[in-house]
This record gives sequence, C-alpha cells and structure tokens, in this order.
Amino acid sequence: MSVNHFWTAFAFEPFMNALLIGLSMASIWLIAALGLAIVYGTMGVINMAHGEFVMLGAYTTYLLQSVFGLPFLLCVPCAFLIVAAIGAIIEKLLIRHLYKRPLDTLLATWGLSLVLVQGVRLLVGPEPKNVTSPAFLNASMQFWVFELSWFRVFIFGVTIAAFVVTWWLLQKTRVGLMVRAVTQNKEIAAAHGIDAGRVYTLTFAYGAGLAGLAGAMFGAIKNVFPDMGAGYIVEAFLVVVVGGVGSLAGSLVSALGLGEIYSVFAYFTNGTFAKFWLFLLVVIFLRFRPQGLFSEALARR
Amino acid sequence: MLTLEHVTSYYGNTPILQDVSFTLNEGDLLSVVGRNGVGKTTLARTIMGLTTRTTGAIRVRDVDLSTLPTHQRAASGIGYIPQGRGILPKFSVRENILLGTFARKDRAEQVPPNVLELFPYLADNLDKRAGTLSGGQAQQLAIARALATDPKLLILDEPTEGIQPNIVEQIQELVIRLNRELGLTVILVEQNVEFAKEAGTRFLIMDKGAIAAEGSIDALTDALIDRHLTI
Repeated sequence: MSVNHFWTAFAFEPFMNALLIGLSMASIWLIAALGLAIVYGTMGVINMAHGEFVMLGAYTTYLLQSVFGLPFLLCVPCAFLIVAAIGAIIEKLLIRHLYKRPLDTLLATWGLSLVLVQGVRLLVGPEPKNVTSPAFLNASMQFWVFELSWFRVFIFGVTIAAFVVTWWLLQKTRVGLMVRAVTQNKEIAAAHGIDAGRVYTLTFAYGAGLAGLAGAMFGAIKNVFPDMGAGYIVEAFLVVVVGGVGSLAGSLVSALGLGEIYSVFAYFTNGTFAKFWLFLLVVIFLRFRPQGLFSEALARR
Repeated sequence: MLTLEHVTSYYGNTPILQDVSFTLNEGDLLSVVGRNGVGKTTLARTIMGLTTRTTGAIRVRDVDLSTLPTHQRAASGIGYIPQGRGILPKFSVRENILLGTFARKDRAEQVPPNVLELFPYLADNLDKRAGTLSGGQAQQLAIARALATDPKLLILDEPTEGIQPNIVEQIQELVIRLNRELGLTVILVEQNVEFAKEAGTRFLIMDKGAIAAEGSIDALTDALIDRHLTI
C-alpha cells in the first residue's frame, strides 16, 4: 500500500459524517461502560465479567426473540431485567464473599467470565446467532450532510436515557442516597441503619442490567457469539479509567472524547491505526493524570 | 436498658476488649474514661458491631444485639457519634442528617424538625457541603445525624476532641442537655475527667481492655483517677 492510499484527505461532508460516527461510537462505549463505572465507583469491584454480562444480554435477546417470539423493542428492557437478576445472584453467591479482598475479586470475576463464555458455548452452541431488529430501525436517514442509520440513533437515545435515569436514581432518590453514603463511608452508613450488603447487591445487579441492556442492542448491530463481550470490555475500561473512577460525568465526557478521537483518526487513516493512536494517547494521558479527568479521591471502604 | 455480659471483642484475632460486663439504666449518662489505647473507642465500636467479632451478650431492652449486623443495631435505637465525627464530606448538611433517618422506626423521610430546633446553624445551612464545616459545626452535625435516627441510647466518642476551646463548652452543654432534658441514655467516651465528672451519673474506668473500676459518679475519687488515669 502506498502512502497516498494510507492517508485520506480532508473533505467536508465525509468528515462531518466521521464526527457523527464518533458520537455514535461514544454512545456505544458509554452504555457498555456505565455499569462498569457504577460497580467500580460504588463497590470498588473491578468486574472483569462485565463484557460477559453484555454477552448474556445479547443472548437473552436472541432467545426471547427466536424462542418466545418477543418483538425486539420489548426484548431490550427484558434483557436489562434478566441480566440484572443474574447479577444479583452472582453478587450473593460470589462477589459478596470477596469485598475485603479486592485483588481476589479481579481473579474471581475473570474466572466467572470464562465460566460464562464456556457455559453459553456449551448450552447454546459456538456458532454466531442473529438478532433481527425492526425494519424501521434498519433504515437510514438523511439530514443536511449527515447520513445515519436509525439504529445508531436508537442506541444513542437509549444511552442518553440510561445515563439520565442512572443520574436521577443516584442523585434524587433515597436509594441513591444510600448508595452514595455507602460509597463514601460504609461503616458510617451502616451505623445509621443502611444495609450495605443490600446496597451492594442492588448496585451490582443494576450494573449487570445496564450491561445486559447494552448487549441487547449490540447483538443487533453485529452477531451474537460467546466471545463477543471481549470486543467491548477494553473500550469500556478505557472510558471508566480516563473519566475518573466513580464519576458519571467523567465517563460521559471521556466516552465523547475517546469516540471522537477514534473516529477522526479512523477517518484520516483506518480503524486499526486509529485504535493504536487511541491507546497510545490514553497511556500518555494516564501518565500525567492517573486519577482520570474528573478526579475524586477514592473513598475508604 | 443496656447490658453487656462477658463481652470480648476482637480486631482480627487480637482481643482488644476482654470480658467486659456492665449494666446501664434508662436515663443514665455513663462516662467512660481511661488513658489512650485502653479500649474506650473499641467499647463504643463493639456495641455498634464494628469490630471483627465479639463473644458474650450485648442486650438492649432484652434484645440480644451481639449477633445482629451494624445496621440493625442502629435501627434498634442506638445513635452513634464516632470519634472524629465521621461526617460524609461530599454530602450536604441535609443529606448527612437524612442519613440518620434510615434507622428510624417510623420511616419518616424528612429532616426531623425537632433536630433542626436544637441546631439553628445547621437549620440555616442545610445545603452547605458538609466537608466545609468547622470542627464544632461538624460535631453538631454528627449529633444531629445520630438524633435523626430517633435513638434511645446515644454513644458519643470524644465529642470535644479537636474542637476549638470556645466551642467545647457549647458541645459539653449540649451533651448534658441531651441526657437531662431529652431523657436520652448516654454513653460518653471522654478524655477530659472534669467534664466526665460534671456530665456523668455513672462512670467506668477502662485499663488494658478491661473495666478497672465502675460505679456512681460520686465514687470517681481522686485516688481512682490517680491510679488509672495519670500517666
């Protein structure tokens, strides 16, 4: 390949579309990262199986659709609920016994991810499955210089909705007050009547549910297969780490920034090279700001 | 109303509190005194269930707390004001007080009005970030938060520690008022023997993780103080 073919020259309309794709990438990465950010921020648990919860969400959607004939738009909230329930069970059986050993949760959740991938491979089979989305979501729309599929708009909308609901739950409800209290000081929260164990179960279930929600949509963009979670987890971790642990706003800003950086580099070069630059920039960024964009001191747990 | 029977309390595998037994009646103010590191704070934390494990029985009105988790102990009517106050700095004053309401029996979800009456400064600054409060204000907030749990028993762990001298007296008066006027049973962990004597109806001297002496406050003689408290 000659150098001339490697670089794409600037042209207004394609470049504007690249920016729009960046926004779409950002929403995909953000919805994949949101649950991870909440679980890490609240419980201090780095959930290596988060990508597998995404995969479970995709399989839930596939099964609900192909076995029970549920319409896609109904499968999405169902995926949230079912994966949240799975998350609650996993928290009670596994995670809860490891709160005092953060490094062990890392290993345990990684082991869990292997179990989930192999379990699905055994039960459902290794071959890729398809989720069909409704016809109107598969159409494209034209707006000024932009051309975008409705499905990407749909993901964008669901991500914004999930973000706003999460923010509202945390900041404006009594359950949110409990969660934020436990995040700041578990002992003090307990000494004032808050059941930290229940808060952790709820938080982990909610984080898993968000991953399931993401998976329901991702399954419809690409295929559904046992290893699919690995394709989202790296970007999700990047979003959380760059945004700053425990900061929802940080995750939002970092997802936007990373999505646009990736998309712009991908426009001028190609997707692989863009990933390379993205990772390099993140490494340099973290060298100078290891606490992330929105630094909040880590709470004592 | 509170009975400890042969309570031994551990951090990890180390027993910090050894074979502690005492009884507290309704309306008592128990001053817990002793040198640094003899287990006064551990006694407070043991009652709240914040040590690794305990043996023996801790009864509040015939309910054994010793197997209950901390949040259920709080709900059984114990208000806890920890050493160093334990204010949640990122929360507003209002959110800190609301934290107390989770232990209430009546499930009220508002800042209790009777708490605000006691603390006019807090009432006027409900939306202030708690991390910006001075030591004395933070101590008021910690007490307000504990009162919001609607407690029968209040545990105060060195409420005047690290507070500027002119505020200390206010806090001391407040502690006495909580007991005499509001009728709360109080356990007061205190370094200042003068204040412990003034406020207490009973005393308990701790030494090396055990009770060295206890009784009515009149029996807290200078000889006892010399033996167990002078360094």
